[in-house]
Formats: sequence, structure tokens, C-alpha cells
Amino acid sequence: MSRRLLRWLDQYLVMVSLLVIILTFTLAAENFLSYGTLSAILNQLPALTLVTVGMTFVLICGGIDLSVGSVLALSAAVIGVTVAAGFSIPVAALAGVATGAVAGLVNGLLGSYLRLPVFIVTLGMLEAARGFAYLITDSQTVYIGSAIQGLVQPIPWLALTPAFLCALVVVAVAHFVLTATVFGRHIIAVGTNPEAARMSGIDPKLTLLIVLCISGVLAGLAGLMNSAYLGSTDPNAGLGLELAAIAAAVIGGTSLMGGRGSIFSAFIGVLIIAVLQNGLAQIGVSEPFKRVVTGVVIVLAVVLDRWRADRVP
Amino acid sequence: MRLQIRNLRKHYAAPVLRGLNLQLDAGAIHAIVGENGAGKTTLLKILSGLTPADSGTVVLDGAPWAAKNPKAAQRAGLSLCSQELSLIDNLSVAENIGLRALPGRLRLDRATLHRRCRELLDRFQLDLAPDQLVGTLNLAERQMVELAKTLNSEARLLLLDEPTSALNDQQARALHAMLQKRANNGVSILYVSHRLNDVLQLCDHVWVLRDGEVVHNAPSEQLTVAEVIRHMSGKEKLAQPAIAAQRHGSVHLSVRNLLTRNMRQPVSLDCHRGEIFGLAGLMGAGRTELLEAIYGLVAHTSGRVELLHADKRIGLTGVNDAVKHGVGMVPESRASQGIFRGLSVAFNATIAQLGRVASRHLLSRRREATAVDALIRRLNVKCEGGDQSIEALSGGNQQKVILARWLHRECSLLLLDEPTRGVDVGAKFAIHDLLRALRDQGVCIVVASSELQELLALCDRIAVMSAGRMISTFERDSFDQEKILEAAFSAHNTTQMA
Repeated sequence: MSRRLLRWLDQYLVMVSLLVIILTFTLAAENFLSYGTLSAILNQLPALTLVTVGMTFVLICGGIDLSVGSVLALSAAVIGVTVAAGFSIPVAALAGVATGAVAGLVNGLLGSYLRLPVFIVTLGMLEAARGFAYLITDSQTVYIGSAIQGLVQPIPWLALTPAFLCALVVVAVAHFVLTATVFGRHIIAVGTNPEAARMSGIDPKLTLLIVLCISGVLAGLAGLMNSAYLGSTDPNAGLGLELAAIAAAVIGGTSLMGGRGSIFSAFIGVLIIAVLQNGLAQIGVSEPFKRVVTGVVIVLAVVLDRWRADRVP
Repeated sequence: MRLQIRNLRKHYAAPVLRGLNLQLDAGAIHAIVGENGAGKTTLLKILSGLTPADSGTVVLDGAPWAAKNPKAAQRAGLSLCSQELSLIDNLSVAENIGLRALPGRLRLDRATLHRRCRELLDRFQLDLAPDQLVGTLNLAERQMVELAKTLNSEARLLLLDEPTSALNDQQARALHAMLQKRANNGVSILYVSHRLNDVLQLCDHVWVLRDGEVVHNAPSEQLTVAEVIRHMSGKEKLAQPAIAAQRHGSVHLSVRNLLTRNMRQPVSLDCHRGEIFGLAGLMGAGRTELLEAIYGLVAHTSGRVELLHADKRIGLTGVNDAVKHGVGMVPESRASQGIFRGLSVAFNATIAQLGRVASRHLLSRRREATAVDALIRRLNVKCEGGDQSIEALSGGNQQKVILARWLHRECSLLLLDEPTRGVDVGAKFAIHDLLRALRDQGVCIVVASSELQELLALCDRIAVMSAGRMISTFERDSFDQEKILEAAFSAHNTTQMA
């Protein structure tokens, strides 16, 4: 293949994959390629999109955040309990996001300043945050009410929800931060070679701390979206979400070794997973088989990525 | 004749061995000595199968020999004790020593293993329990264990690379007694060492290497330490570049009694604006440790590092501090500490000072491109442009990009550790010219190099370190290669290291 084509593929491989998948389902199922179907898929995505953005930051910085699903549940639980205590929705939302920030801060402090492996610290947080979510909700679903559901009412002329648009804005801002700001450069530098980053006057610990906080805040925000979606808080929300977020990031070409990845591509990764799930359901594939296909796609994405990395000069 | 080497050649980035010839009898102990980079370690690596030779023949007991890999070399009866210790921290002393041939069929025969280990340790007069984990040992003990591992084989040829670098005199004597005994039983030994007194006492014959060739060889009893050093450095006086001693400016870097956990002795020094200050010494003399301490990569346990500006003294305590106040460092290990792999030349060149290509945290592609293009031109970096991946560049050009990083930052103090290691000759001279130009602009430069010729050509002053101590300082008009080498060897010959 010509060099130029390879370069082009290198940049748009994930996009092309998404289009191929959409095209396949369009041929296989009737009415798949309709605005109604696609917007319905998109409106399910705010929570996964937000945690995937945070996860991608952390992965590029050379870490991993396994706690996002539990932090989402904990933040949602805080929102539910705060509303039940008679506070207004905005106050509750703020409390939920702050909860995520605190969880991220704890992850960051333990992971970078106590030099514990981030994998272990966030694994601990995965358990602990989930436990707190059960504790403060008494393991019950807490009803919030319709006031919060404005977030997930589709805007009539657009058919998309404010929640999804909000997630889209976060993707855009995060992509901009990573590609066009000094801090984005620092994240990439620390993830690529922490020792060289330190020698260049960048503080790897501080960078990782901030990135884990961002991931916590976004998980908190995802908790808000999740509560809005359900109209209540479920302490079981977001189970396994961390793995879906890692899968999306990896499908988007993010390296688990740090240093390489793109927020935009990770978002495309989210879309690929969502389109697969919905498309397979629509052509009548059973739940177990859907999971098999999703697993194959994740591995295939990495194989493709390797192939690309070996070939592109 | 146990071993005969004819016309052995090896080329990495530059030729390392150029037609080396050497013979060794059965039951003889021969020494290989030479400056850093003379090719000693490469020779041992070729013999033990760690790296292939480019050309030349090796004859072992009358049969041609080319080691495909270390395992084949061991089977043929060659045993290497290398400088980089190859011990496994999470295994016990006995398991490490016996690793090449653990006793027992399926189940590990611990009793036999420990008994054999005990015998070896006794001969070394080493008071260690066989079941102690290697990870808990200090450097000298680890080196002894490595030696015991090497000697725990039915080798006919022992290759020892700096086996006593971490040992004290008593431990070294115990080792020498064992080697002597092996030799009496017909084992041949190649012994590489910087401790020249030991070499002359222990070995029958000395081979002096310089630039990948044997420049002198003679029986030990016909040699003195001074003669060996003379042969190592080369008889002919090198034409010194006609550069008058630079008149340097005021003191810029002041180091007082600086000590970190990696350093063996506190060090003090002063460097001036517009001066290139060299740090000479053998491998393990503590040059890298000193530079890392000045830069603040390792926490100071005592002492001070200060930058002197017109009227201020700025104390430096950590690396962030140092970079903020205009200190830059080019590390020894380009791959692990220097470059950001897989990222562009532009990324690598600007990362230490993104403020100059950004306004309020927002990067400006245009300003970045302009700045990087100017750097590429100024340093004559051979690349397709700022967007090219740094990995596609040669070692010399990668090094130029790392230098560009600090030019971009406009440092007032540059610390360079082996700035031209693995760099081709053209790039090397270019880097030297650049450093001189920076010096003339008033930058204070500290260069550590294993290559004495480089320091002699480049520096205005050279400080010599030996076994962690600052031995002496030479001004440009009193540079003397032999005296500098003597100073570099001095502490290695006498001190007992902890």
C-alpha cells in the first residue's frame, strides 16, 4: 500500500472502522441508518463517554483508574441522599461532582505521593467507593424525581439530550486540552517517559495527581447523568463500567503503556461499542453472543493498532 | 595454547575492536587493562557469546570457537563474571550460585545445594547464610556471590570483568588466592581490572588495550604501574588544540560538601560563567552521581548547591527548582532518561520550555514550528523536519535534539553526562563546537566523560574523581594526561570501599 494511504489510515482507522460497522448493520437490519435509531443510541452514552474521557487521560499519563464505575455509583448515591434530605437539584449535583473529585484526589495522593501502584490504589477505591455507596443509600434505590430528568429529555428539534450534548462538550474540551495546551504536553511526556519528564522540569507526581482528579470529577459528573437517566440512584449503577471505558479507550488506539492516545478516538471507541451492542440486538443476536463479539472486537482493535504501528513509518 | 585470538574486529556505532590479537596458555592468569572504551568488555562479551564478532578467529584448545550464545559458551567451559551483576534478588544466595545447574531431578535438592554453597562461601571467607535472599545483600556481598556463581562451574577459561570493583583489599586477596589455586589446576583466566597494583601482583602477563588494539604486552615482572599507565594513555603527546585558557567570569555554580545516598564522599566545587568544567574518572568514580546530585534528582543528605547571580544566591534543592532557575541536564542514558520515544522532534525539543511556544497555556503551532526550525538549523540536526519521530534519527542527532531542548530554554548552567557517547565523529565535533560557542556566550558548563581525550580537547579545567572522591583539579595549561590518569586510578588502588 502506498505510504500516503497508510498515513491516512493511521489517522482515521478508528473512524473508518465505525463507518464500516454502521454500514454493515444498515445492510443487515432495516431502519438502522435512521436518525431516530442513531440518536437513541447516542442518548444512552453520556455516562460511558464521560468516564472514558477520564480513563483516556489517566491511561495516556501512564496510569489506570479502575474506580470509575464505583465512584459513579457513590456520586449518584450522594446526589440521591442530598435530594432526599431536601436540598435542591443543583446543590445535590454539585455535591455529587465534589464526591468524585475527592475520590480522585485520594487516588492521586495515594498513587503519586505514597508511590503505591495506581492499579492497586484504584482497585481499593473500586471496592471502598462501592461500599460507601451501599452504606449511604442503605443498599436501596433512592428516588429523586422528575426534576432531574430534564437532563435526559431530548431537545425536540435535535432529538439529542442535554446530557449527551454536555458529554460532547467535555469530549471537545478534553481533546483540546490534550492536543493544544501545555498541560496536555505534560501528560503525554509523563506517560511516555516519566524519568525524562522529570529531567525536563515536569513534576510527574503532580501531573498524575491532577489527571486522577479529572477522572474522579468526570466519574462524578457521570453519576449525575446516570441519576438523571434513571430518575433515581441505584447503588449498583456503573458495575463493570471501568472495563467498558478501558475497552473504548483501547479500541480508540490508546496505549495501556502510556503516552499514546487520543480523546476523540476514544470517543469513537465508545460509539463503536454502542453501535455494536445496539446493532447486534437489532438483528436478533443473543446477549451471550453479543459479549463474544464485543470481546473479539476489542482484541481485533489492538491487533489492527499493532499492525498499523509496525507499518507506518 | 588455551586461547588464541587473531585479528578480532567489532564495530558498533564506531569501531570498538580493530584487529585484536591475544594468546593465553593453559593455567595462566593474564590481565587486560586499558582506559574506558578501549574494548575490554567487548572482548569478554564476544568470547562469552553475548555479542558476535564482525570478523577474526578465536581458537580454543586447538579448535575454532565462536560462541552462539552464553549457554553454548558455558557448555564449552567459558565462565563470565560481568560488571553488571546478573543476580536474581528474590532467590537465595545458594539458588543464585547454583542457578546454572541446580541439583536434584524434579524436586530441588536443597541439602546438596546448601552444602556446595557453604563450601564456596567458606573459601571466600564470606559469612552468609545460603538461604539468605540476594536482595538483602550489599554491593560487595553481591559481587562475591556473583564471583562464587562464576567459580561454581567446571570452567577451563574464566573471564572476569572488574571482579574486585566493590571489594575491599582483604576480600580481593581471598579472591586472588582462589584464582591462583584454579590456575594451578590448569584453568586459564582473563582478568580485567582497573586496580593495577593487584593486576601486577596476581597476573603472569599483561595486555594493554588502547582503541581496540593491543598496544603493549609483557610479563608482569617486567612492568610497573607507571609504565602500564603510560602505555594505556599512549606515548605520543597529543597535539593540544591551540586554545588558550579561557578567562572565565565570576563563579556561577557553588557546591559545598554535597552528599546524597548515592555518593560515597561529600564533594565541593566551583564553576564559573564562560567555563567548561570537566569531570574525569574511571567507571564508577561517582561522576554521574555528582551530576545527579547537583541537578537535584536525588535528595541531598547534606551540603548545598547554589547558583550565584549578580547579587543573589539561589539555593537549589530539587530538580524542579533547578530547571526553573535555568539549569539543564543531558543525561548519560539517552534512551531511558533523555528522549520521549515515538514523539516528534518538535515535542522533544520544546518540552522543557513550552512557555516560549505558548501563550497562557495554549500552544501555538506556528511559534513552535518557527522555534523548532531555528533549532534544527542552528544545531544542524539531520531530520525531515520537526514533525518527524525522534526514533527515526541517528544517535548523534537525537543527542543534538536533547541539547536543543536546553538551548530552547536558554540555560545558564548545563550539566552533561557523557554527551557524545554512541555518537558518530561528525556529530561529536559539532557538539563540541556548540559547547564552546555556549561557553563563549557565558554559559557555565559541566561535562562528565569517560573519554579523557574529549575532556582534554574541550575543557578549561578538569577535576578528577576516583572511587567517589574529588582527587585533584587541573587547569588547562597544566593538563597532563598521565597525571590525570594517575589521579583517576589513585583511590581505586588504595581505598577500602564500603
